[in-house]
Amino acid sequence: MSALLEVRGLMKRFGGLIATNNLDLDVTEGELHALIGPNGAGKSTAIGLISGELKPDAGTIRLAGADITGAPIAARVRLGMTRSFQVTSILPEFTALENVALVEQIRAGHSFRFWREAARDRSLTDPALDMLARMGLAARAEVAARDLAHGEQRQLELAMALMTGAKLLLLDEPMAGLGATESQAMTTILAGLKRHATILLVEHDMDAVFALADRITVLVYGQAIASGPPDAIRADPAVRAAYLGEEA
Amino acid sequence: MVRRYLAALVAIALACLVPAVAAALGKPDLITLGTQIAIYAIAAAGLDLLIGYTGLSSFGHAAFFGLGGYTVGIMAFHAAGEKMFGVIPGLTEAWLVWPLAIAVSALAALAIGALSLRTTGVSFIMITLAFAEMFFFLFVSLKTYGGDDGLGFRRRNGIPGISPRDDVAFYYVCLTALVLVLALLHRVVHSRFGRVLQGMRQNPRRMEAIGLATYRYKLTAFTIAGGVAGLAGALHANLLRFVSPDMLHWTMSGDFMIMVVLGGAGTLIGPVIGAAAMVLLQSWLAQWTEHWMIVMGPILVFVVLFARRGILGLFR
Repeated sequence: MSALLEVRGLMKRFGGLIATNNLDLDVTEGELHALIGPNGAGKSTAIGLISGELKPDAGTIRLAGADITGAPIAARVRLGMTRSFQVTSILPEFTALENVALVEQIRAGHSFRFWREAARDRSLTDPALDMLARMGLAARAEVAARDLAHGEQRQLELAMALMTGAKLLLLDEPMAGLGATESQAMTTILAGLKRHATILLVEHDMDAVFALADRITVLVYGQAIASGPPDAIRADPAVRAAYLGEEA
Repeated sequence: MVRRYLAALVAIALACLVPAVAAALGKPDLITLGTQIAIYAIAAAGLDLLIGYTGLSSFGHAAFFGLGGYTVGIMAFHAAGEKMFGVIPGLTEAWLVWPLAIAVSALAALAIGALSLRTTGVSFIMITLAFAEMFFFLFVSLKTYGGDDGLGFRRRNGIPGISPRDDVAFYYVCLTALVLVLALLHRVVHSRFGRVLQGMRQNPRRMEAIGLATYRYKLTAFTIAGGVAGLAGALHANLLRFVSPDMLHWTMSGDFMIMVVLGGAGTLIGPVIGAAAMVLLQSWLAQWTEHWMIVMGPILVFVVLFARRGILGLFR
């Protein structure tokens, strides 16, 4: 079993608080791996460390065998990993098409091109339109991102993440703030995504997690207390005590 | 799209009529006013690339304006007297001096930007201000070049076929420079590079997450804006045939910022309107009081509060 993402002994302290404590995590190619845990368990910190926004105090992170522990964010994206955000994170003034086309532009190489009009560059807009169609947003391509419905904005975010060509997507609570129908739609989209990319999913919506995940890692106080397939996690007494028990 | 080009052509045509109107009204100082507007508009449009497009509130833009001006002044000084350090001869030809002024300012912007852009927000505003103040005091203390009193020179930079004493011709030179700068910046903000700048203004964190190394793009924008301000400074030195540390004073940086915000940030044409509004208001109000800012201040507050895109926004 080869791990696409391999995290070993990851540590992060904020002053006296240990947000990530000796975390080991393996995400296998092709799986949807869910990272769950109560509020304050350090899920977002873990995503921040893996994506490169935060620097770990100790430990290593490997992506497809390459050590990326100290690599800048841009290098990690080039190696095939990108993240989404808990709070919807798009370019509000750009249209949906412009949002995705800009990602394609960055993927395609440097942007030190000062003359040709980017909006008329078919090599950017064509792949972007394809991606929007795949995410069910084709009809909304020319709408400013800020005017999209909340669920559509989350879909746009995913379209942007996929457009980077990422093999590994770090999804930080894609269902946050969605209504029941929108959550359903997002679950369907994520289920479809599984064929295209490996996913590390942080999510509070347990119905979605147990419906989607191939494996689940449970985080408590920055530490992984259990890791395994959904059925095993559901049955794990330590998990029930620390987490699921509180909700039941 | 077509309407925009038509509007631009009409605006250029009207600007070309300024000398004729000035002659008809018997008010030659209108030409100087028009020249001043064109020059400030160049610097403000460059600053708009930072404030309006990239989201960088640089508060030290006067440094590059002043450096461009002093390049002209110092080159004229050495052309008339002895060589700089005994080896570098002075220059008086526009086609040599102006590119040199642009290069000096762009290079300074590259250095200042390389350090300042490691910070964001208020720290960035403060550090750009601090660098500009450093240059201000540098020129105050440079007694060779007049220090506090500034540095005058006798003739404008030579342009083949144009008399250096012809104020109308110089107005057209500045107007041409403005149109060229606006056309260039228009291309830049719609290019791939411009897209990246606008993305960084809207959501810098997101831009990094999709793989952009943001620093180098911000630095390039900062350098371009610095070079544009250098050109404006060179033209301003030629207008007055005089340079002084006032060009680098922090209030000058503030004036450029006001022009951008007043006219409409993120529009390129807004800063031109802002420059015109400011120069005209100042010259009009100054007839009654030297405290013309007492009137300008409330206008600025009104525009910022009620017009999202400045004066230009009021007409959209």
